[in-house]
Amino acid sequence: MLTSKQSDRALPTFISLLVIGVLLMTFDVRLEGGGVVGVLRSGTQAIVSPMQRIAAYAVNPIANALDSLSNVASLREQNAALSAQLAEAQAALVAVQDDKAKLTLLEQIYDLETDGAELGQTVANVIGSVDAALIIDKGTRNGVLTGQPVIDTNGYVIGTVKSASDGSATILPITASRDGLTVLVGSQTGTLVTRPFSSDLGLEMDLDVFDAREPVLVGDRVLTSAASTDYPAGLPVGEVIEDASPEATSLTTTVRPFVDPEALRFVVVLAWPPDPVSAATDDTIPEEATETTIADEATTTTTTPEDDG
Amino acid sequence: MRGRTALVIGLTVVIAVVIQTTLFGRLRVVTPDLVMLIGILLALTRVRTEAVLAVAFLSGLIMDLLGASLIGLRAVVYTTVAYIAIRTKERAELGRVTIALWAGLLTLLGVVLILLIGTLFGQAALVGEGAVSVMILVPLANVAVAALLAPTFVRLVDRDRTALRYP
Repeated sequence: MLTSKQSDRALPTFISLLVIGVLLMTFDVRLEGGGVVGVLRSGTQAIVSPMQRIAAYAVNPIANALDSLSNVASLREQNAALSAQLAEAQAALVAVQDDKAKLTLLEQIYDLETDGAELGQTVANVIGSVDAALIIDKGTRNGVLTGQPVIDTNGYVIGTVKSASDGSATILPITASRDGLTVLVGSQTGTLVTRPFSSDLGLEMDLDVFDAREPVLVGDRVLTSAASTDYPAGLPVGEVIEDASPEATSLTTTVRPFVDPEALRFVVVLAWPPDPVSAATDDTIPEEATETTIADEATTTTTTPEDDG
Repeated sequence: MRGRTALVIGLTVVIAVVIQTTLFGRLRVVTPDLVMLIGILLALTRVRTEAVLAVAFLSGLIMDLLGASLIGLRAVVYTTVAYIAIRTKERAELGRVTIALWAGLLTLLGVVLILLIGTLFGQAALVGEGAVSVMILVPLANVAVAALLAPTFVRLVDRDRTALRYP
């Protein structure tokens, strides 16, 4: 019976559940999130995600309103800073458009073929979060697979897909990952690692360069390296916020990621690494237009190789 | 009777999980841990202690499965908090305020345990973000929610309109 007089079997039950819990944790560590554990995660997400999606429709306006209220004091300063950033970005855009036009002209002159290997992209809404992990409303049905890299709409690195079910997926941001990220700062390769117990205000990570040849300076951009097995090369991750010089052959400095995962509303999942077979025969594979619906009725059309499915 | 109680508890857990992972997953300031609070408040009801522990364990497990942290981390912590709640509930049943403070203290214990066990299992980066503010805000929010909802929740589960009525 569920309700009755209090029995004194609480302690044995408690100990049994503790043992089961510790066993589960041990299994999870040993299996590294795969196997049965992965199936359990996917199954639970598949059950809960439809309810989360419905709740998100009701909750998002409330959350946005409360977020706005909490930010209202700093809105004027943010507005001025954003106006300045916009002016800079527009100037940079004009310069890039000039360069792009020159590049196109040169390609035509020299009859060069562009690579054209665009990565498949899936735009998804963030519908929730647990701890630092984000839950999105796209899953395996939309081509989102475990291990794929995730960026924001500006192309900045967010993290990777930790697990995916049919209609949702969990994203593990780089700021919450135990694994170091191989990055490039200038011409030097380093490892970006998280800082445990970081404060909400200072989203910072540690950069270790073990074969340092030159100093790194404030403002240096940190990009994903070709040596990384989790991300395509050249994606912007963050910027150095502390000067550092090599000591012996290594240096350590602090990096601020460009993306604050808590502030994200949309993310882009990249279909990477591309299937080696399909990548090699990319010209022969017809491309499939995938229509991705974003919240508030906005619609984006992305092109995905058929095999990425 | 049995089926209805189970249904009420099950629905409450599902609603709490959904609200926790959507609304309170988005907000930075108001962040109660509703799922943990259900385990705590169930200790005040006439539901059998084994069932309370099982509900706390399962609801923690669901949160683990939805997130990216170790499976079993929250299950163990919520179960521990529920067990301590069962053992200490007599001291809390003095009034609405004492129940709220008791729930807040147990929540603080739960948050500290999540950080501690998470760190031991190498999850510090995941569960330790904003650790100090989490240790302050989550218990405070749970104090407020418990003060508001504890009597209603207990009456609903026990189907007893006189439960937790204080002069």
